[in-house]
Amino acid sequence: MQYEMVAGFETHVELATNTKIFCSCTTQFGGDPNTHCCPICIGLPGVLPKLNRAVVQYAIRAGLATNCHIANISKMDRKNYCYPDLPKAYQISQYDKPLCENGYVQLSNGRRIRLNRIHIEEDAGKLIHKRGDTYIDYNRGGVPLIEIVSEPDIRSVEEAKEYVEKLQQIMRYIGVSDCRMQEGSMRCDVNVSVRPVGSDKLGTRTEIKNMNSITFIGKAMEYEFNRQVELIESGGEVEQQTLRYNDSENTTSPMRGKEDANDYRYFRDPDLVTISVSDEEIDELRKTIPELHFEKVERYVGQFSLSEKDASNIAKYRRIAEFFEQASDGVKNPKTVANFIIGQIFRRLETEDDKESFDIKTTAAQLRELVKLIDDGKIRNNLAKSTLEQMLDTGKPASEFISESDMAGLDESALEGLCRKAVESNPKAVEDFKKGKQKAVKSLVGFVMKESRGKADAAAAEQLIISIIG
Amino acid sequence: MAEGMIKRLGSMLENKEISCTELTNTYLSAIESANGDLNAYIKVTPEAALDTAKAVDEKLARGEQLAPLEGIPMTLKDNISTKGIETTCCSKILEGYKPIYDATVWAELKKSNAVLLGKTNMDEFAMGSSCETSCFGGASNPHDIGRVAGGSSGGVASAVGGNIAAYGLGSDTGGSIRQPASFCGIVGLKPTYGSVSRYGLIAYASSFDQIGPITTTVEDASIVYDAISGYDAMDSTSQGRRGEPTVKTLKNDIKGMKIGVADEYLDGVSDEVRSVFEKACEVYRSLGAEIVRFKLPSLRYALPVYYILACAEASSNLGRYDGIRYGYRTANYKDVNEMVCKTRSEGFGAEVKRRILLGTYVLSAGYYDAYYKKAQNLRGSIVKAFKDAFETCDVILAPTVPMTAFKKGNAISDPIETYLTDICTVPVNIAGLPGVSIPCGFDGEGMPIGMQLIGDTFCESTILNAAWQYENAAGAEVFKPSAYGVKL
Amino acid sequence: MVTREDVINIARLSKLYIAEEELDEMTKAMGDIIKFADTINVASEQGVEEFDNINNLKNAFREDVVVPSYERDEILKNANDIDEGHFLVRKRV
Repeated sequence: MQYEMVAGFETHVELATNTKIFCSCTTQFGGDPNTHCCPICIGLPGVLPKLNRAVVQYAIRAGLATNCHIANISKMDRKNYCYPDLPKAYQISQYDKPLCENGYVQLSNGRRIRLNRIHIEEDAGKLIHKRGDTYIDYNRGGVPLIEIVSEPDIRSVEEAKEYVEKLQQIMRYIGVSDCRMQEGSMRCDVNVSVRPVGSDKLGTRTEIKNMNSITFIGKAMEYEFNRQVELIESGGEVEQQTLRYNDSENTTSPMRGKEDANDYRYFRDPDLVTISVSDEEIDELRKTIPELHFEKVERYVGQFSLSEKDASNIAKYRRIAEFFEQASDGVKNPKTVANFIIGQIFRRLETEDDKESFDIKTTAAQLRELVKLIDDGKIRNNLAKSTLEQMLDTGKPASEFISESDMAGLDESALEGLCRKAVESNPKAVEDFKKGKQKAVKSLVGFVMKESRGKADAAAAEQLIISIIG
Repeated sequence: MAEGMIKRLGSMLENKEISCTELTNTYLSAIESANGDLNAYIKVTPEAALDTAKAVDEKLARGEQLAPLEGIPMTLKDNISTKGIETTCCSKILEGYKPIYDATVWAELKKSNAVLLGKTNMDEFAMGSSCETSCFGGASNPHDIGRVAGGSSGGVASAVGGNIAAYGLGSDTGGSIRQPASFCGIVGLKPTYGSVSRYGLIAYASSFDQIGPITTTVEDASIVYDAISGYDAMDSTSQGRRGEPTVKTLKNDIKGMKIGVADEYLDGVSDEVRSVFEKACEVYRSLGAEIVRFKLPSLRYALPVYYILACAEASSNLGRYDGIRYGYRTANYKDVNEMVCKTRSEGFGAEVKRRILLGTYVLSAGYYDAYYKKAQNLRGSIVKAFKDAFETCDVILAPTVPMTAFKKGNAISDPIETYLTDICTVPVNIAGLPGVSIPCGFDGEGMPIGMQLIGDTFCESTILNAAWQYENAAGAEVFKPSAYGVKL
Repeated sequence: MVTREDVINIARLSKLYIAEEELDEMTKAMGDIIKFADTINVASEQGVEEFDNINNLKNAFREDVVVPSYERDEILKNANDIDEGHFLVRKRV
């Protein structure tokens, strides 16, 4: 029998606010253990939470960017469970009145992954187990989170990966989170079940907890899919349970037994008041949502004739997209700008993080000036390229590196002189060409370009060289 | 009528009849001689008290004016956080815990040089009506040390009633200020929910808890309330005081004031309490007020509603005592979970455990709707019933407790019998209203009887005014000094 | 009706141990309290009011401005056991 995967995600995203959700301690990642703490976030007796306004605003923006309905009235609830990383023995979260409901994320194949809800809550501290001892650091305790809960609409590992990447891009784009999975600022719980293809009934699901890498999400889902299919095929039944993924063995294993089943005893937190958001406030927040990644890709392809791949590469990073749009403003061919970014500039930004932070010396206006010189026929591509390298090294404008004579171009006799010189100085290449190696001419053109400091017209030089040899 | 201790000591300091250091020493030695009998204080803080006294004396020497509570020796219930001073809620589980921050009320009083003599006894985590669930043993009633001071703020009431503190701050979740004030023959004000900051008050039931003064007179209560009420950004439920300071309207005429008396409050009160209460109504009539009898049927559900909701909140509030960050930790365990369970089992007393279990039960899957949710809806009905009542009357008058102080040891035997004694006090907490208990007479054995004036939210001025008028009219008849404490 | 199993379950959720020999007594005590609590279930449904929060308050927010955290020594001061700047629960045998 053929089976299909049915998966849903609960994604925790740490918000990029300055302070924690209920106190004024910093949310900065790292820091020595227990140095980002105060009586409130370590739950001393008598303290009270005070909700950070920015948390509500960030969560609403996340909801708007994922097509959610924003609730005018919501509230905070206590989720009671006792664990050493949770200093109050309850997590302040939202139960039956979340801030955002009924959204969706659209995948490239056109399918919509429905979002059930997005709610706000606090993160827990960190436990470190050493030789059986338990060390506890509460720096992360109280850092604001949103939990994005999808419906079980995901049908394959590919869709799952795209869903997570898409969420990541959206959250980064609107600036609510850096979504660094390796630092734990984005974590996924994945619900997986299987069913015969064609069936519309949901099978019993298992939940793989706390995944923090897209690669491992894929592997774990695949493993879990196969495990469940084999279990059913051999006459067994899938047991609803919580699993942990073991990446070194690529297996999943149960986290706790049934006897520890939790009963969270949710009830409204009496220390916090109702959250009320007017339609006007929601509209104001809507105005702060920028054009999103996939919307930009569409526009870059349609308006600027970029390839889908180039458009996506640029639009993926909000700062780079902004840079591209500013640098392209008023130039004849934005594609040239895109090529400079993807070619030379990307060579200097090796990691995803580098691209995300996009810390370069050259401004968009400087790049625009350079490209306009090409547009006006004042310099050629090669000179522009070498100039850009110098600009990127120094942060200085193109005018620092290009002289009037550079911009004057080469007259025909000068070009012919250089071409003759190329033929005379490279007998080997000339010989190769004569033997039929068409490519040999390229090295002769290269010689001309170098001698002319990029001012020569490469195509004209090639024609000329061929006629000199021929 | 007796002058309030705050007023009296304040003018003695201003007139240089006594220095603040002398005054503080007088109180400290009175504590030393009386506390063996009263067990009001569980911790005395002489050094800090004398340091503050010295600062006040220096201020006086410079000829500076003192703030109303400046230099007055006082006490705090042991659930109010005091930086660097052990704060235990009279529970073994908070053994050795020294807060690293001050409760907002204490931070405010400290700024005006209140002289903290020490921390006072209470029922463990404020759960009790006799002060006897304290891990330090209960506080005694200054009028008969064979009887309880009441609870849960029994220590504060015993100290103020026994003249070993000029005033004190307690907390009232279901009557914990008013009931011991009534038992000890003094004044206790439970303010409107939200008018006094809860920041730093160790929570029992968050939507009921409120800090308030226990004093010798209504005027003193008014002075303290004016000082401690106010908006606090640290408490999301804080709103502060509404209107001008309550002392300004304290002595207003109450002619024509409509005083409501609900029949339900008189169900089940003892004959002695009832007859003293009826006499008090007469006093009000003589002052020109109108007594309006009415019914509050939803009060029948007040007690179970209170116990369900308060215990639900408590079960969650008390989850944090796990032996990791502060307080007691068990000696032997095999893993973290066992450490937590053993710590809690050894650290909490029987009544606290009972309330945690009840609270967990009413919130647990399958029972939430029948208990927690239902009780929450009935809470709404009770809130509305009071709102309606205040459409027709200005204040409500009711007994504070159906009886006088019980003999020690009686409260512990049957928890439910004990819960029933809170019948007159819990409705105020359910609806978040202000209520002030004042002495109104004695039973046959000379034990004080109290009554309470209940107002609409943020109407402290109205009830304090009505209370002052009664106190002024009734005079010494309802007030009997205790044999204990300072004699000035 | 409160059963022994109910008491065992809520004790587990409450992180409290109840000794085997105390279980019957506690079951009875809890049963009595619940019976008392049950009086709300004879209340007529009429006049049931939705209860939001005590003074129907809305929107008490704090601005997103960092205030320096406490010194770590202060944070750890009341702990039973600490090591390397962490709260610590040591393994016991």
